[in-house]
This record gives sequence, structure tokens and C-alpha cells, in this order.
Amino acid sequence: MDTPLEAPALVPPARPRVSKAALVAAAAIAVLAVVEASVALVAPSRAPKDADWEAAAQAVRAGFAPGDLIVAAPAWADPIMRVHLGDLVAVEMAARFDDARFGRVWEIGQRGAHAPEARGTVALEQRFGALTLRRVERPAAKIAYDFQANWTNARVVRAAQGRPDVPCPWSGDRFQCPDIGFNFVHLQTVEVDFTLHRALLVQPVGGAEVVVEYAEVPLGRELVIATGIHDVWARKAGTGAVETRVTIAGTPAAAITTRNESGWQVTRVDTSKYDGRTVPVRFVVTSPAPFQRQFALAAEARR
Amino acid sequence: MSRLSARARDRLITALLAILTVSWLLAVEGRQGFGRDEGQYFRAGERYWGWFEELGENLAAGHPGLSFKPASLDRYWNDNAPDHPVVAKVLYGLSWRAFHHCTCTGPARGLHPIPIRGKHRTLPLFRRDSTAFRFPAMLFAALLVGMVYRFSRRFVSWPAAAAGAVLTLAQPHYFFHAQIACFDAPITTMAFAVGFAYWKALRSPKWGVLTGVVFGIALGTKHNAWLMPIFLTGHYLWMRRGDLLGRWFGQAARRRVPRVPLAFVAMILLGPPIFFAHWPWLWQAPLARARTYVKRHLEHEHYNFEYLGRNWNAPVTEASLKPLRMTAPFVETLFTVPVTTLALSLAGAVVLMRRRRGEPMGPDAEPEAPLAPEVDWRRPGADVDRAPGAFLAVQIFGPLCVIALPATPIFGGVKHFLPAMPYIAVAAAIGLDALARAVAAAVTRERLRRAAPVAFAALVCVPAVVETRRSHPDGLSHYNLLAGGFAGGASLGMNRQFWGYAVLPMLPWVNDSPNHGGMYWHDVISDALAMYKREGRLALDAGDTGYAQPGIERSQMGILFYEKHWTVYEGWIWDDYGTTRPVFVRDREGVPIVTAYERPPR
Repeated sequence: MDTPLEAPALVPPARPRVSKAALVAAAAIAVLAVVEASVALVAPSRAPKDADWEAAAQAVRAGFAPGDLIVAAPAWADPIMRVHLGDLVAVEMAARFDDARFGRVWEIGQRGAHAPEARGTVALEQRFGALTLRRVERPAAKIAYDFQANWTNARVVRAAQGRPDVPCPWSGDRFQCPDIGFNFVHLQTVEVDFTLHRALLVQPVGGAEVVVEYAEVPLGRELVIATGIHDVWARKAGTGAVETRVTIAGTPAAAITTRNESGWQVTRVDTSKYDGRTVPVRFVVTSPAPFQRQFALAAEARR
Repeated sequence: MSRLSARARDRLITALLAILTVSWLLAVEGRQGFGRDEGQYFRAGERYWGWFEELGENLAAGHPGLSFKPASLDRYWNDNAPDHPVVAKVLYGLSWRAFHHCTCTGPARGLHPIPIRGKHRTLPLFRRDSTAFRFPAMLFAALLVGMVYRFSRRFVSWPAAAAGAVLTLAQPHYFFHAQIACFDAPITTMAFAVGFAYWKALRSPKWGVLTGVVFGIALGTKHNAWLMPIFLTGHYLWMRRGDLLGRWFGQAARRRVPRVPLAFVAMILLGPPIFFAHWPWLWQAPLARARTYVKRHLEHEHYNFEYLGRNWNAPVTEASLKPLRMTAPFVETLFTVPVTTLALSLAGAVVLMRRRRGEPMGPDAEPEAPLAPEVDWRRPGADVDRAPGAFLAVQIFGPLCVIALPATPIFGGVKHFLPAMPYIAVAAAIGLDALARAVAAAVTRERLRRAAPVAFAALVCVPAVVETRRSHPDGLSHYNLLAGGFAGGASLGMNRQFWGYAVLPMLPWVNDSPNHGGMYWHDVISDALAMYKREGRLALDAGDTGYAQPGIERSQMGILFYEKHWTVYEGWIWDDYGTTRPVFVRDREGVPIVTAYERPPR
């Protein structure tokens, strides 16, 4: 069955020749092999050591002032930074709205990386082994009103056309609307586009509006609103858009559409004409397809 | 070596490579944790053994038929069905039963998935149960390494073939999978075995029949086997394109449809029966349950996976993202296979493309010139050049292209196209052989000329071995020189790990904590925890507070694996524990892998 067959060679076998191109390629691969092996052997020792982190952390502690921001670069090193300085990194700092309110940024960097938050004048730069500590200074945004810090002062209702508004009273740690378990407003850490932020979780409901109203907001020149869809699983399961209408002193000021792919969507509203005045600000949240719309809403009034 | 015949030398080298493979894997596997999948396969393997144990008892009692009743079959074989067929899991279970060091009647007795009726009599080769489970996977890896050597020897000299075999194993991601009781390394072996058998079948009827048998075993190993006939058909049609074109070696010939070769007939006739015979879960309702199995994989959920800074967990619908998504398997290959191996395989591709039809690959290669004047369906590669370049191309690019399709889930990363890797190593061996011959030809001193190919082969293996050693036990987190290592991979937004393998080095911290009764395990499955406890690596009273936010709320301490989609879990920990400060971070070269939190005292 398996008879061996003789081979009448139609083409003579290739004979080895000294090819310059092959020699160059062989030399290049030999060099590559040496470089690759050397880098693999050396690379582990180039990583920052605990002592580097400790020394950098001590330097930060020596100069840290309330209101400063501490960041790691690249961002993936952030958990190690928090091991050493986590007591200075409150949840509000780690899950910040953005970096505008921070006038001084402590950046602990490695491998030449810089954090996007570390913009401004470099006031200090020090090496600690494989780490570089920089303190960057720049003008900070002045916050006239932090909607998250004052969220318990809000009034929450569920409103449906042709029906009286349904109040959502304070209940333990949230504003809970009646009859629908997920119809609440709660301040928490949200994950939007795989980044953590402090925001109000305001899940829209079918056939009604969820209204979050702040009666007395001292405004500055700008109202900055951030929206997004919280939770990777919700973004996977649901697809509906969430609409947010913002009214200031009863006047429509912005209409924001937020989708899964919107990320942490920042909308800026010019409030110059209200600068220095205290007025009501109202956020009205709806969705034509509210399934798994874990909607995150945050805002700051800036001078 | 020089005193041995070529055949004896090849056998000796094959054996040495296989022994070294098993030795290397056994030496290091103990540092490798258990993932979600492996934990389930431990459980299923032991449960399948339970059926054999019961069959033995029923045989002894004179009524073996009891073991084949539907309820008895399902009691054991329902486990991990319809997810995966059982060739590998049965081997894992049998290996555990044969080789574990039995402490089964001790305090961990209740952690076994089947009742332990007494102390097992075993050949206690392995101290840990998990090593006994994993041993067959290592044998599969050894078989692959040996086969790569033997297959490469058809084209290249022994030093280059041996280097190709080493480069097969010395790939961090393959190495990671080669030591665990899962299916990705075994199916890589079986894919190569099917390819090798088919290649031999092109000029040997005996191997035509055997290809069908090997394919049947591959079908019982993992569903990747479904794709093998497609790749082989692609090569076959290319090899016999002269039939379709009516032209052979520049001369006009009769135009015809290529005959279906014996190997394919055998795959059709033998593959499915072997598949159905090997899986007792199918026996009750073969077609209905086989359909369930097929649907399970055709409609598989898209888990989360990070690639180039994005989290992918659904079929891509945005047109602008489709091209990026399609690059995943190619870029992952580019960033995970040692660069020297890739460069050599590129050189191999040049050699293959420059080869003239009918010309052997080199002085050590078997002939590609036609051996027979007429086509014969039993040896359909005998009257033509077998097109080795096309064969390697379909075997390398076939698995990658399947994963490149936008609708294909990419959650497994490299493991889903591992069957391409040994063929990349074969291509590297071909490139190495050509370059080594050029180097040898340029050397004037005879002794040096003879030593040059061996020295060059050894040199190109060094980076792959060093990189692989560096990566262990975090092969999934490892990226190559082009990507910039662990740190470069993290900066590029490449997946860092999956399924909770990386927990093992955290266990001493868990054991030492007085709060470990309230432990939140994040992505570590309970089957894995049971095995850690059985082996004494985890305190028996270590708790498990469950999954997700409720699990965190119930916990006193917890861990978090770094994957992009787990970010939300860290937010829950911050909110519930009231701190952002981990108690420590397990890292590789500064890149966080697992973070540990403890609830601060109130």
C-alpha cells in the first residue's frame, strides 16, 4: 500500500553559494538576537523599585498641600502610586471630574512618560532612581459650585406628561422614586469609558422624565457638565441614547445626547450673564430606550 | 553525533527535545496559577474519572451496563458539556488518578468533585494534584516539539530543525498555555499532527488513512479542529492548481477538477465517528447534542478583551473600527512572538517564495520534484511539487484570518490562534537553515564551517529562551522587544491577563491575614480555590464572598485583576472600603497585575 517511490529529479538541488544578501541578513539577525536577549535580561532591573517609590513619596509628602493633585505616568502605574500615597489620594481626587481645579500637580513618572494632567510650568523636578518627580503649577479653575458636593440639596422628581410630578424623597443614601427600584439618584464612583469619576447615577425610566433640580446655584462664567454611561456591562447590554436638558433660571441652556460611545462627555455652557447670581439649575434626564442606561451626570459651576 | 546514522540522530534529538520540553515545563509549572477555565477542567477531569471508577465497580459486580444508562452517563459527562469534548480532560483525569500524591482522605476530602471512598493507590510522581492534572498537557507540548523537529527535518538540516523545535516552545504565550490543563496547547499539537499527517499523506496512502484518525482525535480535543479541513483544502487546491489550469510545469495538460484525496476521504469517514465515540455525553442524542455543541461555539458570547487601548466585547459595528479590529491577530503575533523568531520566519518566507517549483528547499531537504508520472488520489502529491510555502502560508495565516473576521470574538488573544505558532517556527527554521548555510559557506576553516550552523542555531534560540524565562509565570502579560516588554504592552493598551491566573503569588498574603474569611476573589473561580486548598496553598478557612458588587460589600479584603473592563470593580471597592489605597500591588517590571485591598478599621 505504501510503496516508496524513486525520485527522478527534474531540477537539480540547489547548491550553497555565498550570497552577500544572505550574509548581511545573517549578521542582522545575529545582532538582533544579541540585542533582544540583552534587553530581556536588563529590562527587569530598569523598573522602578520600592525604594524609588518610597523616596518619591516622601518628597511629595514634604511639599503636598490640600488641593494638590497626584498622578502617575504612565497612568497604568497609578495603583502603585496609591500604595505609597493613597492616604493623600481621596476618592474625589482619584475619581475626579477633570484636572481643572488643581493648581499644583505632582507627577511621578517613569520611562519618560508624562501625564496629560501635568500641564503648566515645571516648578520642581527630581530623580528618584527610575522615577522622576515633577511638580507642575498652573492657574486653577475656581469652582463656584460643586454639584456633587451639594447633591443632597437637590430635589428629585419623576415627571410624566399629563400627570402630577412624583417626588423622590431622600431614603438612606439616595433619592428614591416610588414604585421603580432603579429609579433613584445617588452619588457614587462611576466607570465611564473605563475611567472612574464621582457622579450622580441617574437612570432614566420609560415614559417619564427624571428631574434633578438645584434651587440655589451661585453661578460663575461657565457651567461644565459631564455625562456618560456607567458600567461596562450596561454599555454592552443597552444601546439607547440618553437625553439631558439643562435649564438655568427656567431658560433652556443645553441639550446633551449621551450614547455608549460618548465616553466622559464634557459640555461647557457659557453662563457669563448669570455670573455672580444665584439661580435654579435643572437637569431633565430621559431616554427613548432606557434599558440598562446607567446614566452618570456631574457638573461644576466655574468662575 | 557524527557517528550516528542520520535516522538515529534524528530519533535521539527528537527524544532529547521532548524530554527537555517536559522537564522545563515541570520545573516551572508550580509557579503558574489556575485560571477560570483550568479550574473547571480539573473538576471535569476528576468527575470523568469518577465514571471510569464506577464502571470498574460495575464490571466487578458483573453488571457493566449500569454505567451506560443515560442517568449514569449524564451524572459524570454533563460536566463542562456542551462546551468542550473530552480527549484532553479525560487524560487530565486519568493522569491525576494515576500520579497524584494522595492526601485525599485528609481535611480537603470534601473539596473533591466526586466522593472519596478511601486513600487512592497511585504512582505518586507529583506532589501537587494540579501537576498530575497538567502532566498530559506537557506531554502534548513535548509531542509538538518533537513533531516540529521531524517535520522541519524534511526541509532543513538538523541544527535548524532543532532550533525550530526550540522556538516553538520558547514563545512566552505558547509556553504559558503549554503547562496548564487546558486545550489550547493540546489543540495546537493536534492541529500540527493533522497537518503533518496530511503532508505525509500527499505521498503515502498509509498516512492518508491515518490523517482521518488523527483528525478524529483533534475533533475530540477542541473545536479549532473544524477549521483544519478548510486550511488543508486551500493548500490542496493550490498544490493541484495545474489540474484546474490545464498546465503542469510549463506544459499543457488535461484540465480537470482535482480528485478528492484519500486523506480527505479518511477525515470525512473516520473523523466524525471517532468524535462521537469518544464523548459519552453525545451517546444519548448524538445529533441533537452535537448541534448544541456546535451552536455553543458559533454563538459564543464576546467576552471583554483589551487591544490597542480599546475594550472589545461585541461584534464591531462601527465601520471605522472594523479595520483596526481585523488587525488584532496580526499585531498580537507581531508583539508577542520573540522578534528574532519573527525575523527568521520572514527570512524563511523569502526562501520559500524564491524557491523554484520542483526544487528542494536545500541540500538536506526531501525532493519536491514529482515522483510519479500520473496523479493518484491515494498519493496526490506524488506527481507534483507539494508547494511547502503554500502549506505553511495556509497553516500560519488560516488561524489568524479566522480570528481577524470582525464577527469572531477575540477574548482569548493569542491562544485562539496558537496553531499558527509551530508553523511560524518551521518557517523560522527554513530561514535559519538558509542563513546558516550562507554563513558556513563564507567560513574557510573546515572545523568552523561545520560548527557555524550549530552555533548560529544556538544563538538565535537564546533571545526566545531568555524572553520566555522572563515572562514566566505571567506569559499573558508579556510583550516582546517591539512592544517594549511588560511596560510597553501596558502602554500600548494590550491585554494584560485574563481569568484570574495571576492570583497565586497573592495567596501567602491571604493566608496571613486574620480577615481571610471575608475574602473577595474577583475573577478567581471556586474550582480554582478548591484546588489551592486541596494542595495546601490556601488556608482551608479562607472564605469567598461571591461576585461583583455584593461580593465586595460582604468582604473584608479583596483583590482586583487589571483588565480594562474590571475598572468598575475598583470603583466599587473605593466606595465600599472608603479608600483608594491598596495594601499592595503585585507587579511585573512595574506594571500592576493584581491589587490587594483591605477594608480599613472603622
